[in-house]
Amino acid sequence: MECQPIIEVKDLYVNFYTYAGIVKAIDGVSFKICRGETYCLVGETGCGKSVTARSLTRLVPPPGRIEKGVILYYPEPGGKPINIMELSEEELRKIRGSEISYVFQDPNTSLDPLYTIGYQIAETMHAHGTVASIKEGIRKAVHILKMVLMPDPETRVKNYPHELSGGMKQRAVIGTSLSNNPKLLIADEPTTALDATVQDQIMDLLRKLRRDRNLTILLITHNMGLVAEMCDRVAVMYAGRIVEEADVYELFNNPLHPYTKALLRAVPNPLKRVEKLESIPGTVPNLIYPPPGCRFHPRCPMVMEICREKRPPEINVKPGHRVACWLYAEKRGE
Amino acid sequence: MANLRRFIIRRLITFIPTLIGVTFIVFIIAAVIPANPARVWAGGQKASPQVIKKLEEEYHLKGNLLERYYWLIYKLFTNQIVSPRTHHYVWEDLAYRFPVTLQLTIIAFIYILLLGIPLGIVAALKRDSWIDTTIRILALIGVSTPVFWLAYLLIFLFFTQLHWITLAGTPVPPYSITGVPLIDALLKLDFKTLGQILSRYSLPGFILGFMGIGVTARIVRNSFLDAMSADFVEYAKARGLKKLRIYRHVLRNALVPVVTVLGLMFGGLLGGAPITERIFGLPGIGNYMLQSIYQYDYLALTGAVFFIALIYLTANLVVDILYAFIDPRVRY
Ligand SMILES: Nc1ncnc2c1ncn2[C@@H]1O[C@H](COP(=O)(O)OP(=O)(O)OP(=O)(O)O)[C@@H](O)[C@H]1O
Ligand code: SF4
Ligand SMILES: [Mg+2]
Repeated sequence: MECQPIIEVKDLYVNFYTYAGIVKAIDGVSFKICRGETYCLVGETGCGKSVTARSLTRLVPPPGRIEKGVILYYPEPGGKPINIMELSEEELRKIRGSEISYVFQDPNTSLDPLYTIGYQIAETMHAHGTVASIKEGIRKAVHILKMVLMPDPETRVKNYPHELSGGMKQRAVIGTSLSNNPKLLIADEPTTALDATVQDQIMDLLRKLRRDRNLTILLITHNMGLVAEMCDRVAVMYAGRIVEEADVYELFNNPLHPYTKALLRAVPNPLKRVEKLESIPGTVPNLIYPPPGCRFHPRCPMVMEICREKRPPEINVKPGHRVACWLYAEKRGE
Repeated sequence: MANLRRFIIRRLITFIPTLIGVTFIVFIIAAVIPANPARVWAGGQKASPQVIKKLEEEYHLKGNLLERYYWLIYKLFTNQIVSPRTHHYVWEDLAYRFPVTLQLTIIAFIYILLLGIPLGIVAALKRDSWIDTTIRILALIGVSTPVFWLAYLLIFLFFTQLHWITLAGTPVPPYSITGVPLIDALLKLDFKTLGQILSRYSLPGFILGFMGIGVTARIVRNSFLDAMSADFVEYAKARGLKKLRIYRHVLRNALVPVVTVLGLMFGGLLGGAPITERIFGLPGIGNYMLQSIYQYDYLALTGAVFFIALIYLTANLVVDILYAFIDPRVRY
């Protein structure tokens, strides 16, 4: 299937200016998401998944700053792209929540505790002119809650967030985010804060919505099981870089990057039986003083001389499978 | 609503032990003082023994402490206590002085609201800038400056040098609607009286509010910063809400803790301000208590303490009720 990109990121760099020093959180990340697919970002905590996702609409909080990069958004299939980096605050606002929506990790803190669910859905629609008034929005909110399979939506629409369970809150958040019919939904660990059975329900809901509304989803997760269930293509991040990208079968069956291999050995592999789980030796690097060359080299069992000095190039080993590792470079030392 | 009524009744019942506690402590302290109040009331050294004896009997100055306490509280409740100092019923004295304290409180509170809240918001928006630091230092000065020192400094400036304010009398208009001149003058749009009241009360009000301004600014700043960094603000941005609307979410959340503090502060100020009232010669509750202490009038003092405790408890209760209206998470 040919890829009709909806978003394309080229050479993204994000720094955080903290008291301790400059955190080089995102260091030259490039990828694109195709229309209609579910694209996954995986990696250990702190590797930059959330920052990457937020960068797509320039939602990086201070002291963070996007240093460099191009972010192209294609509103129409095959149409002319918009460069997100060149938009004004107001133009960005119009895209956020209407074209590109987010669902964050913790539904318990995503909603304002002082306003009802219905009100918060209504104001989201009102902000983008989907409804003429908050009142009309609250009426429409009932349908939205129905769409996300909220039990008893007529009552729930009048409830405050604390009157809902965690799973119901996340349904409300998903409903809010979909209320303006966005084309891209960015779900940043949408189930991490929920318990296991509720996690499954929310994922079922996302699958259903994806099917019914032909949604494109960027899914961020730690959970390799979810990756296998949900994703079409996967990018593995390590310390602010994408180290490997492939479609989901390829990645599980033929991981190439030493970090991906270690990651798959460290979690129960849903596609293969693994006897024993191994943890990845070493620790996540400090991104104020990241290791030179390949950022994984202090932990890599295959490390070579060149890895310590030069950043590995991104190598397309097959169509749709790229890896950033010196092991696969034809002319090493180039 | 049924819940609200049950809540209020439950809280009113808890008033009783608190009121008994504070009045009992004040009574005991006054009663164990090794001086004879009756002698003071009767005119000091030259007082005639008969008068002293009569006073001792009339005011139950001898005998079992518990019995005397019970007698005092019972008489206070039924408004039968005449202050040996002012020769008025204690409740009448208090009712007469309360408007002064109330006006002083209102003016102090206006300063607190008008200065404390904006300063706090500015400090939060410009966090860690020189403005923030300046406001922090001001708040610290506000808390640590002795009231009398600041009062005399400003009297020197505004009274002695600039003649902007008056220091005598308590302006009372010829009409009375609520009994509080400030409110009456406002209702009648009587700007002349209003001007007199302001020139009499604005400086003591400022002095009284000075500490509160800094405290309020700090609390507003911190609760604003908390609200601004809350996750729901980030999600509000991600939903593409307009800036003004996001500020509304922040403001409402930030004000929840502020309302509590302001409510209690108001209740505290209503309890009278002995030092400020004394310096500016304002005949309010605070001054009344001081005079009562000088004259060993522990009867009036106990009455005043009872009154203040009641006001503070009520303010507390009102804050709690308000709270449930602002914050849907709070239920009775
Ligand atoms: N507000 C911030 N201030 C300073 N550094 C930050 C901030 N936010 C993120 N970072 C840095 O950016 C890096 C990437 O953070 P990010 O939140 O994207 O990680 P993540 O992959 O989403 O992790 P997790 O799985 O825990 O959500 C982190 O190493 C962190 O040090
Ligand atoms: S580039 Fe070198 S250090 Fe980095 S993953 Fe490949 S082999 Fe390991
Ligand atoms: Mg994250």
